[in-house]
Amino acid sequence: MRVGVLGVGKTPHKIQHEKSLRDLIVEAGRAAIIDAGVTPGDIQSLYVGNVGSVGFNFENSTGLMAAHHLGVVPAGAVRVEAACGTGAWALHLGCVAIMSGLYDTVMVLGAEKMNDLATVEGTSIIAQAADSKEEYFSGLTFPSGVALTARKYMQVYGLTEEDLAHTSVKNHHYGARNPMAHLRFECTVDEVMRSAKVADPLKLFEVCPMTDAGSALILCREEILRDQPDKPQIFITATAMGTGTWYAASDTLDDAHALLARPAQKAYDMAGITADDVDVAEIYNSFAIQEPLGIEALGFAEMGKGWQGASDGSTWIDGTVAVNLSGGLLCKGHPLGATGSTQAVDIVEQLRGTAPEGIQRADAQIGISACRGGPGAVGAIHVYQRLEG
Amino acid sequence: MTDVAEIQRYGAYLPKPRTQVSDLHAFYGRPGRPRSRTLATPALDEDALTMAYEAADEALGAERAPGAIISVSQSAPFGLRKMSSTLARALGLATDTITMDLAAHPAGLMDAFAVASALVADRPVLVVASDHVVTYEERVCDMLSAGGASAFLVGSSGGFCRLGASARFSQEIYDVWKLGTEGEPRYRLEVLFDAYQAAAKGAFAALEKATERPASGYAAVAASQPHPQTLRGLGKLGVSAEQNTHTSFVGEIGNIGAASVGLSLALAFDAAQAGQHVLAFGYGAGEGIAQDIEITSAPPTIAAKERLAGESITIGTYYRWTRGRQAEPH
Amino acid sequence: MTVSAIEFSRLGPPKLRLYAMRCASCKTLQPWWEKFHCYACGTGDLSEEELAGTGELTNYTVVYYPPRDFLGQEPYVVGHITMDEGVLMPAPVVGVAPDDIAVGTRVKATLRRMKLGHEGDIYYSQKFVVDPAGTA
Repeated sequence: MRVGVLGVGKTPHKIQHEKSLRDLIVEAGRAAIIDAGVTPGDIQSLYVGNVGSVGFNFENSTGLMAAHHLGVVPAGAVRVEAACGTGAWALHLGCVAIMSGLYDTVMVLGAEKMNDLATVEGTSIIAQAADSKEEYFSGLTFPSGVALTARKYMQVYGLTEEDLAHTSVKNHHYGARNPMAHLRFECTVDEVMRSAKVADPLKLFEVCPMTDAGSALILCREEILRDQPDKPQIFITATAMGTGTWYAASDTLDDAHALLARPAQKAYDMAGITADDVDVAEIYNSFAIQEPLGIEALGFAEMGKGWQGASDGSTWIDGTVAVNLSGGLLCKGHPLGATGSTQAVDIVEQLRGTAPEGIQRADAQIGISACRGGPGAVGAIHVYQRLEG
Repeated sequence: MTDVAEIQRYGAYLPKPRTQVSDLHAFYGRPGRPRSRTLATPALDEDALTMAYEAADEALGAERAPGAIISVSQSAPFGLRKMSSTLARALGLATDTITMDLAAHPAGLMDAFAVASALVADRPVLVVASDHVVTYEERVCDMLSAGGASAFLVGSSGGFCRLGASARFSQEIYDVWKLGTEGEPRYRLEVLFDAYQAAAKGAFAALEKATERPASGYAAVAASQPHPQTLRGLGKLGVSAEQNTHTSFVGEIGNIGAASVGLSLALAFDAAQAGQHVLAFGYGAGEGIAQDIEITSAPPTIAAKERLAGESITIGTYYRWTRGRQAEPH
Repeated sequence: MTVSAIEFSRLGPPKLRLYAMRCASCKTLQPWWEKFHCYACGTGDLSEEELAGTGELTNYTVVYYPPRDFLGQEPYVVGHITMDEGVLMPAPVVGVAPDDIAVGTRVKATLRRMKLGHEGDIYYSQKFVVDPAGTA
């Protein structure tokens, strides 16, 4: 069962003090509506991914706000939240809605406006995605929780900080070429190593910024897209979700692997493909270490070897599989609720062949997105394919 | 008071950060010569209770069933909430442990010794003195106020020293008032020096009457508020510089309030030998309390002197900590 | 100024005494927050068990950008301590320079303020210090 991608849209990913949360929602939503060639009235259900508008912006009911200002009333609208996996969960619900046969056309939208607050407040709100009342009360933050994973990974596989720094170099090489990315500069291993410490061993260039952005997709039944052969024939052919432990204390490397490996296997089976078939991947990397973890979980490398691709070129644009040609979260930033939907939009652009110059994988046919949240709690996989009728 | 009350074990805690007093004087534009090189400054996550916990834990050692805890502190917020009961829970002591707070001046440790002596018949009593006297915001640098804690396990036997006779002297004192141009009344340090010496004189005389031992007859004197001026006052009463050796910490870490007599005792015990006598003296609000402590056997040592050295913090860190307690992020 | 929900929490790490949860069925000892069911075997009979307070630092990081309650204390060490009873606990390690700490360092629990307390209540809990008795 396939879900047609009728249209996509996104705002620039950056600090946007001049815009409010609703501005981002409307900008991304309208872009997708125009791209899809539909009217707001055609949308039968709206799924809005947003993590923290109550904390970041002091407003709530983001789903209803989006429905009103995008003009999709009277269709149903709901806000979806699952930590950093929020956007991917909105996409999952959109896919399920189409696959169930209940709806013909739905909209999936993710948005987050994080820069209404200073970093220290933002850090505290982000920490609420984990158990901020119990575990993270101990002085942990999201960067430091993941830093523990990084240190464990380095120890178990005998790696140095330089080994892991290549991941940031690759992401920034492509991020510099993505006009929609937040951080647009290239850097060397040496510059990564010299960047400010955030949570040892993670350094500034291995940590995503706090970003304001929105992104959206219009999904439809397969036949609706098939009936419009002039449109790019991009389909979501698999959607699979899972959970793992909510606590850093019980998040072993095996757990971190299984979090994405379990839904990835489900998704490959559902789409009828294998890891070898994938051309482009968007892998969650709010912290650089999460990219090799994702590469391993998706089956592109053995455990402990996922970092090598950024160093030997096999995950670069002309490698075996191109990973994070958008620059990943390290460059796009991590607008929490929008991250999952932006990954989807970026893969769709790759398959359509409309990605910006310098980051378009030649003849990309099959793409995959892997989103992680919690950071050990949510695993989300989607497979996308160009299937010309 | 029972016939015999002995100190079985003791502990002392000093926070590691050290603020340079010359920095403080320069920063706050305070005239005069710093009387202490550095102040032992509790870290942002420390206060009178956490310091008391550290000292108490050391003094208890393997003894986990004292009959009572007596805590002595002048520091906020422990006028409003009971430190001793919180401390008992933190130490995991039985719920029937008697807990009592003495909201006290720096001689409170001797008050606590008196109460403890009356309670030690069955089980030992833990006496803890802990202070960080002034809040960061209303710091009065002249007082050299720093943070620290000391603790003593008092029992009816098995100790290395005997709590002997004590004597008191008290007179009415007016030490908080304001001069014409000052906005608010403040503690007058100049009154302290005179009153301190008067109280010491009275208490020493009374103690000598009971023990027939003059002040010069003690191996060491452990006195509160060991400011150079107050020590000079004790000198006039026959206390030599050598006897005051264990109060010299004030030059290293400042005055730690109710904990300071205890720290001085801990330093003295570390160096004491059987047969010697140590004189404890505390002063506050016109009252002086002196007590004779007889060393009966070689004390266990805790090397308290090594703790006088800390790690220097910058005035910038100090400022962040002072403002930091209320600070909102930018 | 946004008020964090954490401010009003009545949850949090163990307060004055360090404890973990013991499963009556499979005997696994797990962190204090596992109070509804056993993370190992899924059964529901858990009881609090006091810990001796000593353990080994098995993983750690140094935080340079703290959350609000730790402002002014950065950089500070926070890590996973494997208690001698076998359970893994997240906690800060204080009183030691980040350079002087390593995986394998022996640590023991002490009492510290966990929050700055500017909202009224003072929030005490366990932090860890290097255990001088444990370096042998």
